[in-house]
Amino acid sequence: MKTNCIIRCSFLAILFISTTAFAQDSLNLTLPMAKDSVKFLAIGDTGSGSKEQYQLAKVMLDYRTVFPYEFVIMVGDNMYGGEKPADFKKKFEDAYRPIMDQKVSFYASLGNHDQSNQRMYDLFNMNGEEYYRFKKGDVAFYALNSNYMDKRQIKWVQDQMSGDGSKWKIAFFHHPPYSSGAAHGSSDGVRKVVEPIFIKNGVDVVFAGHEHFYERIKPQNGIQYFITGAGGKLRDGNVKANSPLTEVAYDKDLSFMLVEISKDMMYFQVITRTGKTVDSGSVPRRER
Amino acid sequence: MKYLAIFAAIIFTGSFAAAQLNLTEDDLKILADFEMRVDRYTEMREIVRRQIPTLPKDATPEQILVNKTHLRDGVQKARVNARQGDLFTQSATAVIRSIIKQEFKGFKGNEIRKTVLEADQKGVPLLVNVPYPETKELVEMSPALLFALPQLPKQLRYRYIGRSLAILDRDNGLIIDFMKDALP
Repeated sequence: MKTNCIIRCSFLAILFISTTAFAQDSLNLTLPMAKDSVKFLAIGDTGSGSKEQYQLAKVMLDYRTVFPYEFVIMVGDNMYGGEKPADFKKKFEDAYRPIMDQKVSFYASLGNHDQSNQRMYDLFNMNGEEYYRFKKGDVAFYALNSNYMDKRQIKWVQDQMSGDGSKWKIAFFHHPPYSSGAAHGSSDGVRKVVEPIFIKNGVDVVFAGHEHFYERIKPQNGIQYFITGAGGKLRDGNVKANSPLTEVAYDKDLSFMLVEISKDMMYFQVITRTGKTVDSGSVPRRER
Repeated sequence: MKYLAIFAAIIFTGSFAAAQLNLTEDDLKILADFEMRVDRYTEMREIVRRQIPTLPKDATPEQILVNKTHLRDGVQKARVNARQGDLFTQSATAVIRSIIKQEFKGFKGNEIRKTVLEADQKGVPLLVNVPYPETKELVEMSPALLFALPQLPKQLRYRYIGRSLAILDRDNGLIIDFMKDALP
């Protein structure tokens, strides 16, 4: 009886270890995993509550076993449709609860489907503001509200950035200043007001969404722009072929970005719902 | 006195913009009156807000819903006689329409028009003191247009609803007023 139990327990232990090892092996990681680097995810247009959103959330969770990211930035459209408590649960909390249980914080920005009241929601860490700044290591993050860029917000961005001596400056918001999307395309109005401020104040990288696909834009005026808007919805085949803006694009599955910033380099890797890597690379910090 | 100060401030700070937008002194007076009406609404909704429990900055979805509902109900009750044109008076509508028209010239206008008309706003009621449905998309506002229009207090937002320009309360979702034919 005792022998039988030992054999059975040993078998289960071997099975558990080999399964875990296999799972981790299958999680291909191209990032350097440097000591003391800033590690985070970038996701967007997540709030559909769909089966696909949950499947991607599971891959995000799996990747934490090999890439222990501390937080997640959200580029808007956090909640499609209604915003009753049940919607918060279905479209956000239930999907990402296993990740939040590992003490990972989410920092949201607002999309055109989001009510302003989301700024008061505890788990979005917006501290009651539609636009805000937070810092992780040497990196300053600016969450902006691209739905309503009035004089008040633009003055705030200018004031904050001009006095910001952080080594890295990253902005994230919903509407993409550059995009090869057939449905929406570049948000020219937003670009015209924010890009001169970004250039003047040394913003290195911008993350946006709105388009339901992934796109890495060819660097524009020294800034690296990404679209990571396929976190919960997909616009299959929507990237315009031969767009002069596109460095790399992927519009065949949902995706999220793993990002690591170490010293003067930002590394990124883009993962789909099936765990496939569809883009990876590095971005040097801008000369100032 | 306060409104004279507002008018003076508009003339002082807005002289460059006014010149760019071809606004006359009469136009500026009309816009000062519009801002006074906006302020009157804001003061009233702040009185209502102070009567309900404060929403913490780390609220739960339940607290957000309760706060929104109380603020909406309180303002609806306080504005039971509100009518279209309370803020967008006839004269204000004319001035604002001329500002919009100038901002819509050329390529920029086509872009804004495309964004507005593409939005999913079917079934949004164009009625004063009625909530904008939270299931419907909010059309992003062109920053250039926001720079040209009179600045609203942070509690209020300009929003396009089809071809109409509305003012929405960001916290209770109510349509405070609207003007028609605002999309050239």
